[in-house]
Amino acid sequence: MKGRIFDIEEFAVYDGPGIRSTVFFKGCPLRCKWCHNPEGLDFSPTRVTKLQLCMHCSACDSVCPSPGKCTGCGACEKACPKGLIRIAGREVEAKDVADQILKNAGLLMQSGGGVTFSGGEALMQTDFLLELNSLLKPLHTAVETSGYASENVFQRAAKEMDLVIMDIKHTDPAVHKEYTGVDNELILKNLSWLMQSMIPFRIRVPLIPGVNDTEENLTSTARLLEGAKALEMIELLPYHTAAGAKYASVRKEYRPGFDTSIRPNAITEPFLLRNMEVHVL
Amino acid sequence: MNRIEEARIFLKNKCHHAYRRELSKHEWSQISKEIADPALSMEDRAALRLKKFLENEKIIRHPGEKIYAWRTIKSFPDIYAEGEKEQIFASHYIHEQGRVCNISSDWAGVLAGGLLTRKTGNRARDITIDAVIEYADRYQDEALSNAVRFGAKHYEDALKLLRILHFSLWASNVYHNTLGRFDQYMYPFYKKDIEAKLITEEDALALTEEMFLSFNRDSDLYTGMQQGDNGQSMMLGGVDRDGNNAVNELTYICLTASLNNRRSDPKINLRVDKNTPLSLFIRATELTKQGLGFPQYANDDIVIPALVNYGYDIEDARDYTVAACWEFIIPGKGMDIPNIMAISLSEIVNGVIRERLSEAESYDSIFDSVKRSLSERAEADAKKLSPIYIESAPYQSVLMSDFTHDISEGAKYNNYGVHGTGFSDAVDQLAAVKKYIFDEKSVSKDELLSALRTDFEGSRTLLSLVRNNAPKLGRDDECTAIADALLNAFADALSPLRNERDGVFRPGTGSAMYYLWHADTLPAMANGHLPGERLPANFSPSLLVTDAGPLTVIRHMARPALLRVMNGGPLTLEMHDTVMRNQEGVNKVAQLVKSYIMLGGHQLQLNAVSRETLEDARIHPENHQDLIVRVWGWSGHFVELDTAYQDQILMRTSYQ
Ligand code: SF4
Ligand code: SF4
Repeated sequence: MKGRIFDIEEFAVYDGPGIRSTVFFKGCPLRCKWCHNPEGLDFSPTRVTKLQLCMHCSACDSVCPSPGKCTGCGACEKACPKGLIRIAGREVEAKDVADQILKNAGLLMQSGGGVTFSGGEALMQTDFLLELNSLLKPLHTAVETSGYASENVFQRAAKEMDLVIMDIKHTDPAVHKEYTGVDNELILKNLSWLMQSMIPFRIRVPLIPGVNDTEENLTSTARLLEGAKALEMIELLPYHTAAGAKYASVRKEYRPGFDTSIRPNAITEPFLLRNMEVHVL
Repeated sequence: MNRIEEARIFLKNKCHHAYRRELSKHEWSQISKEIADPALSMEDRAALRLKKFLENEKIIRHPGEKIYAWRTIKSFPDIYAEGEKEQIFASHYIHEQGRVCNISSDWAGVLAGGLLTRKTGNRARDITIDAVIEYADRYQDEALSNAVRFGAKHYEDALKLLRILHFSLWASNVYHNTLGRFDQYMYPFYKKDIEAKLITEEDALALTEEMFLSFNRDSDLYTGMQQGDNGQSMMLGGVDRDGNNAVNELTYICLTASLNNRRSDPKINLRVDKNTPLSLFIRATELTKQGLGFPQYANDDIVIPALVNYGYDIEDARDYTVAACWEFIIPGKGMDIPNIMAISLSEIVNGVIRERLSEAESYDSIFDSVKRSLSERAEADAKKLSPIYIESAPYQSVLMSDFTHDISEGAKYNNYGVHGTGFSDAVDQLAAVKKYIFDEKSVSKDELLSALRTDFEGSRTLLSLVRNNAPKLGRDDECTAIADALLNAFADALSPLRNERDGVFRPGTGSAMYYLWHADTLPAMANGHLPGERLPANFSPSLLVTDAGPLTVIRHMARPALLRVMNGGPLTLEMHDTVMRNQEGVNKVAQLVKSYIMLGGHQLQLNAVSRETLEDARIHPENHQDLIVRVWGWSGHFVELDTAYQDQILMRTSYQ
């Protein structure tokens, strides 16, 4: 079946064990203010322009049949005399994606690596995800998810993976809503199911200065994780200033809503105190 | 502060420049008259020149210093009388500066046996031996005086001796003086001292660091295309002459010394094979992380059989090292000239497409024309290389395994190496023609040819098609068969040729500075390359391919046909330095390198770069005096490079 992805990254270093290829699924139900993949937010196709070399000739705009809501027709891509345009998120067959990844299967396997499904939010395209996943077996597969999905979808997908990498962005529902656009109730429900399952998982916290890098939030995150059956480790990802760079290339405005010049605190004690493995990436 | 740290700061602040002087006009003409005496043979003149040079050098000793020798004279007259050089040069083929360069001495032999055993009664060579001994004696260090005569006994003397020998080599006017297999020839001394408990591993590290620093003392005075291109390359690891794994403690000590020094010299190379443990790759990747552009890896599994195919004895092939950049040579026994010519593969393919496409009935007939054109070019260019003139080099001759004749006249191996530039762009041109003109027939011959003639002006859609969507090496699997075919064609074109010393021509995947020179004259090409655009350095996907992934790249570039194209020239991968920000990243990069070696890749060079840093260095060079980057086969200070080289580095894709 068909689905939408916006990139395949070979040699993703921080998406699970070994050498991995990461597939980025298009579309995300969250709107995190710090998102560094703005081209992955909408489910529909997105025009991405390399602006540094753009000469503002408007050839792209003049051929576009659907300004404002891209259909992925590709007219702009062909029209740009400098080849600066890429359409992110055209429909692709799961089989074609799998074939492309499997060309490097030997390399992935040899290093104890595999494939990670990221995004956007991979769980938004559950059937496509599961088909792609089955086409890639026996490779090691992992999903990297916000955990924002119905319990049924979350469990169906997680059961098919060798590893789940799940974000906990904030433990407080109100702050969560303010910075990501959604409530964290569903996420916490999925987390508690995951904690009781035997599926190996990792927790990721994107550290955002002044938002969730406090002792208090990280302590309550660590507390939430007490008693998990198959928690491998916690990964803290300090926000880096390059995150905003892509917004202009997809004609979006970057409004982070926090002070991007401050380096976040990577407080590991709450996890270490509880004998949890923690890494700062 | 310890001794080594002090030495690092002293060097960094260029304090030693105060020791240097130019000869006065009077001295210069006096010395010149004496050396360039038409009554003397060239050999005698060269010997006398070295003697005079060393006599005029001042002896500088820092308190506590163990490794001596600082260059105090910036330049010295050469051996030719008025008009003589011009006359010789006009009637001969001259490679670069017409002097011996780019070879590797028999360091193992000289360090073990000293210079006196190398006296043969040849006046010129014996003079150089006496001159170097005299120079060494002026340091009033008994251990060194003994070592230079009879050979070193301990690790420290061996290092002292190597420094004096190598320093004198530069003074003798040969250049690109490589350091060969340091961890091999130094190991017996190291091992003896460690076993006798005369030194600890820490002592050895400090000595090695001091030694490595010494290679940076005078490097700005050494000749090269750009500052940093001085050929002081060193090879570590690999197998011994009998084929046994020869990685030893010094291999690791050298990697650590280079990492701690963070200086561009010596340029570290590491020999590996399919059995090399991941731990060695990890140690080496920690060095890569420093951003110096080395180590560069060479794969014994591929290089050794390839050298045997070229006619090298198996024991010698197992002993290979690299010339200044990456060309494979044999220490002590090679007078190969591994960079004597370069063929622009992109230009050949482009020429064929423009001239032959309209009548060509099939892709195969196009490819046949490429083969023919390559052969014609190779033959024509090879003819221009004789008679070759190389200045006599009595002192370098003393340092060879067979020290009974002048090295400028040749040695056991006298092969020539030929660079092939624009390889990937050539493959991509062929792939586009094959697919669109012959397989799919979706583009007409006239359409493509007229687009080429007009630099794709008015053929924007075609440009976008061939530039972005056409199959590209490093991204699309259709290209690999074409890549092998082109490598074989390159090898076939050179294999019938012999040089005037009966050596073979070795095709290679290196580019040296030709990646800039050849790019300057390339017109629009069928892969969407436009005039004025750059080519990649060495053996890498076209710079037009910005969406190749590193896994596909290593898979594509590990071509089986490389076995026949083994002059040297690495796949170059640029990694954003944030990839290696922690141990996990370092381990995975090491795993990637290991994968390339397991796939049968021949040579790999990995750079840790940060585009942001490079861009900032363009604007504020004053803040980036220490920024070292890999250029083609060597590393140098980014801010000291010409803008054309800087631009090309900024064009390379880096993987995040
Ligand atoms: S692909 Fe380009 S031209 Fe087509 S709808 Fe999207 S933006 Fe417009
Ligand atoms: S067509 Fe290309 S160069 Fe012209 S405005 Fe659009 S992106 Fe810029």
